[in-house]
Amino acid sequence: MQLSDFTTIEGRSFGYWALMGVLGLFVLLGAGAFLYVEIMGHGVTNMNNQVVWGAPHVFAIALLVMASGALNLASMATVFGASHYKQFRRFSAFLAIALLAGGLIVLLLDLGRPERLLLTMIHMNFGSMFTWNVFLYSGFMVLCFLYLWAMMEHEKWVKVAGSSAFAGRLILTTGTGSIFGVIQAREVFHSAITAPTFIAVSLSSGTAICLLLLMATYRQTGREMDEKLVHGMRNMMVFFLLAVAYLMVVEKFTKSYSPAFYEVEAWIMTGPYALLYWGGVVTLGILLPLVILFNPGWSNTRGGITTAALCAVLGEVAFVAHVLIAGQSYPLDLFPGYNISSPFLDGQSASYSPAAVEYMLGFGGVALAGILYLLGIRFFRLLPDKAVAPEGWHPWSP
Amino acid sequence: MTMDRRTVLGLGGAVAAGAILLAPGVRLIAAPNKTEASGAQRWAMLIDVNHCTAACTACTDACRTENNVPLFGDPKRDIHWIRKVEVQDEEGRRPPLSLPVLCNHCEHPPCVHVCPTEASFIRKDGIVLVDKHRCIGCRYCMIACPYKARSLVYFQVDVDKASNPRVPVRGKGVVEKCTFCVHRVDDGQQPACVEACQAAGEGAMLFGDLNDPQSEIAQRVRTLKTETIRADLGLKPHVHYQGL
Repeated sequence: MQLSDFTTIEGRSFGYWALMGVLGLFVLLGAGAFLYVEIMGHGVTNMNNQVVWGAPHVFAIALLVMASGALNLASMATVFGASHYKQFRRFSAFLAIALLAGGLIVLLLDLGRPERLLLTMIHMNFGSMFTWNVFLYSGFMVLCFLYLWAMMEHEKWVKVAGSSAFAGRLILTTGTGSIFGVIQAREVFHSAITAPTFIAVSLSSGTAICLLLLMATYRQTGREMDEKLVHGMRNMMVFFLLAVAYLMVVEKFTKSYSPAFYEVEAWIMTGPYALLYWGGVVTLGILLPLVILFNPGWSNTRGGITTAALCAVLGEVAFVAHVLIAGQSYPLDLFPGYNISSPFLDGQSASYSPAAVEYMLGFGGVALAGILYLLGIRFFRLLPDKAVAPEGWHPWSP
Repeated sequence: MTMDRRTVLGLGGAVAAGAILLAPGVRLIAAPNKTEASGAQRWAMLIDVNHCTAACTACTDACRTENNVPLFGDPKRDIHWIRKVEVQDEEGRRPPLSLPVLCNHCEHPPCVHVCPTEASFIRKDGIVLVDKHRCIGCRYCMIACPYKARSLVYFQVDVDKASNPRVPVRGKGVVEKCTFCVHRVDDGQQPACVEACQAAGEGAMLFGDLNDPQSEIAQRVRTLKTETIRADLGLKPHVHYQGL
């Protein structure tokens, strides 16, 4: 595919500016929420001393996990030789940067003292997963930029840059999952399989968001995309959703052999966050999209594929929300085998529902990622005018 | 390049003047080394549960007064450096226990391990502290602590005339916890909770140096059956319990 095939969108339509306006409004609301929390303190949120990471962290981590998965399309072409996705490499790498930026800004603005951020660069504790993540996030962004630069200017470096970015995204999501997986005190998410599950979730949700944005962008700009490409990405999503299901089943299976986990597992499945687990993580995030995608009728329609992709994205948010919120709400077991109580609410499941300012901050990050994407396709030649599939290639049909 | 005598003298003078000006600064930077904690000591606490009664809150009250720990009237967001925990076996066969729980000043503190800016740190004498000027409020330490010993300051707290001036001003958006009353310990005093417990006549709490074999705490930990909370986690807590 030649460079001339890639074009920017015009970006003059009412729809484009209306979307920019709506997203801009959400960014402004997010900025206002940040200033409000900064001045008044985290007391205006609904976070508390049990659930210390609330909705902003859910938005931030969900965006960061999706960002690394968004690079998947580019990696398929550069690393795994699926040349028909070569035409989406630029889009894929740019989207990864946009989502990463949206997630990081929420993460940073939700700090108790965001003005001290520079301290993370001055005083580094290399035993902390957070310190490693500072390097992993910034490093991944640099790798994506190098990858884009190679794709646009120096094709001979694409293999090296693309492979580095692929390794970077694996390490990045391992780091994100390990923020939770390494914490011994928290029984809900302390597991060696937490990080691999995060990787699988990033692959399914990242492919889903790419699919959704590609279909929407091509439709709204009147461009052509070969249906076989959509079906190829649909198939990837099927595989990644099965990978998520597999890892989750393996974790439950392993824990079912350890009586020490019975109490926490029973709490997950029947406790106050059971609806989030069964409804959000399992049904919406895994079963429903798989049912749609394995149905011969639905899986070959744009409506079915769009619904399944939306479910995969929402399921990822539910997964992150469950890890974070349920993970913190489960009471710390100070005295195993005993019931405890105290004025500090020991022994109780925490209750938490996000405040409006938390949603505003979170949606501000999502909107920022959206604006960056809209600016990206307006000013950079990220997508080909016509996305074509090879003649003899026929993606497998469920 | 050659330099004449005047240039050499000028440069030399500038270097000397600079050294003189910088020297006090270097001294100031180096000064804390002279007062750093000694690794010869290992501060620890022993709580005799048999002498701790449910109705007594002398330790928690003393901590609030000594460390200006406020109550906001919101149980979910109140700050607790030490709290009384009621423990009951699931079958209800034994009478419930009431005991204070505080930061365990672990030998392998997970809060210190996860802190990205090294704001949480452990002194040579084993006291785990938070540098309030370095904490960025990421709350990862609160996630990592298995004892729920840490609180985030959710609201602005102003100092008033009743506040103890020896304790640093509380910073909004910063995580804090029990310091073993480090300002008192460094002056050779006991933590406020221990002093209050003894004054109340209960005598359930004992504080001392585990490294001193003659100290009462070292002898009691050595000779009596004591336990720590969640010893299975391998963190080597330094708040010991007797009669648990």
